[in-house]
Amino acid sequence: MIGQARIESIGSGILGGFATARGILKLIAGSARGVLRRDYPKGEVVRQMYTIGNKSFVFICITMGFLGMVMVMQSGEQINRITGDLSPLGAQFLRLFIQEFAPTITALMLATRVGAGIAAEIGPMQVSEQIDALRLSGITPVSYLITPRLIASVCMTYVLTVFAVVVTFSAGGLAAWSVFGLNPHVFFDSSQVHTYDLVLGSCKAIAYGSAIPIIAGYCGMQARGGSEGVGSATTNAVIAGSFAVLQIDFFFSGIGFVFFGGGL
Amino acid sequence: MASMSSSPTESAIQSAILLSKVELHLDRVPVLQSLSLDVAEGGRLGIIGPAAGGKSVLLKVLVGLLKPDSGSVKVRGTEISDGDENTLMDVREEVGMLFQNYALFDFLTVGQNVAFPLHRQRDRIRKSSGDTLSDSEIDERVEARLLAVGLAGSGNKMPSELSGGMKKRVGIARATIARPKLLLYDEPTAGLDPVTTSKMYDLIAKDQKETGCTIVAVSSDVNALCTFADDIALLHLGQIRYQGKSDSIADADDELVRQFVSGADQGPL
Repeated sequence: MIGQARIESIGSGILGGFATARGILKLIAGSARGVLRRDYPKGEVVRQMYTIGNKSFVFICITMGFLGMVMVMQSGEQINRITGDLSPLGAQFLRLFIQEFAPTITALMLATRVGAGIAAEIGPMQVSEQIDALRLSGITPVSYLITPRLIASVCMTYVLTVFAVVVTFSAGGLAAWSVFGLNPHVFFDSSQVHTYDLVLGSCKAIAYGSAIPIIAGYCGMQARGGSEGVGSATTNAVIAGSFAVLQIDFFFSGIGFVFFGGGL
Repeated sequence: MASMSSSPTESAIQSAILLSKVELHLDRVPVLQSLSLDVAEGGRLGIIGPAAGGKSVLLKVLVGLLKPDSGSVKVRGTEISDGDENTLMDVREEVGMLFQNYALFDFLTVGQNVAFPLHRQRDRIRKSSGDTLSDSEIDERVEARLLAVGLAGSGNKMPSELSGGMKKRVGIARATIARPKLLLYDEPTAGLDPVTTSKMYDLIAKDQKETGCTIVAVSSDVNALCTFADDIALLHLGQIRYQGKSDSIADADDELVRQFVSGADQGPL
């Protein structure tokens, strides 16, 4: 009997996984349809851009600024122990942040702040039957609710990633000058940044920007019951969103490694 | 309870709703079991029954918000059980619904909530014929509807500023403003005092007299619903245990039905 219960539990887990994958794929298809048909309320994209972009700007800048300084100090320390030549620090630092850390860390922060926000907005709508009311009014909830968030998230994740690179590099340069006395002309060096670094970083930012609202929207739409269900949906959105960011990072970094001879 | 006029069932020529052997499971639990139901065009059906008996689920099946596992669901002659979105869109254009949890859009004001179906109707008409309601006409109709439900001047409030009873009345205003052919009410008088309950049923009856729409109402207030509806159905564990005239339910053969209506402690429930 224990064996049967275990098999049933595994089977139900697998079926649940398939159902989730199908639900997310349907959400992606529905959102894409919404983009093509422009089937969303006027002004909603701009409102969402403000919510996702402007309201995350300070949060991202402060976090990335500190991260940039810490990373420069740590890596400078290591280089000093090995070679003592800090001249390639800025160029390598910039390359690393453009193709890896700026998009990924920005997205991880957006997955918590924006993902939780989207799930916390859509979850109560699901629980209080507002989404049913939208469907009854002849509106496709995915187009109405997810599509504007998707467009806004893609645009603003990209923009915030650019800001993240600028802030991190500037803060890193400041740390290199004040801690190691490295001349800013030496640190601010973009000679190691190639086109594929920009392409890889851009692809990651766009993919992260797409994944966060889709996953958060899906979690919100799965909310059941009352406030407990909404809380659970919000937690799931943050966990699943962060996990998706890391998976996407692995996927794109793998592609970069295979096609461009190693990103890192 | 104020007097209520009888519905125009005399002019009924077809079934507004026809359910045949509908089965539905949610999370593997049977919610509707071999359920058959026939509601005449222009009729008033009240659905009562113990909690978690499938009443709200039944209303959602009637508008395609839930797809049955098997069986047939015809709304005004159109089969909707296959869940085809285009068919559902057409059917839903003729349906208004008050949800159990009000389902007011919390990002819109009360006035915008009530106007919502009219804006959607205007968008649809614009696509087809182009002759539409103006903004001022919509505003006038919203004001009139809010006045009818006793919420005149509340148009600029947000739903979060309203009490449960007021939200219910806004929900009724939104469900009825576009004059749909089929109106579904899920607990239309829950949270309302007896006087407001009577007024709401009077308003619903008056609207029906004007539009000739079909009404299906789910309520826990058995007495008020029996006074309002022509027919009553009792739903228990996903099955219709009684369907008949509302004035004869107290004399039903089924002991469970009699117990539920009388509210007696002793019995099968």
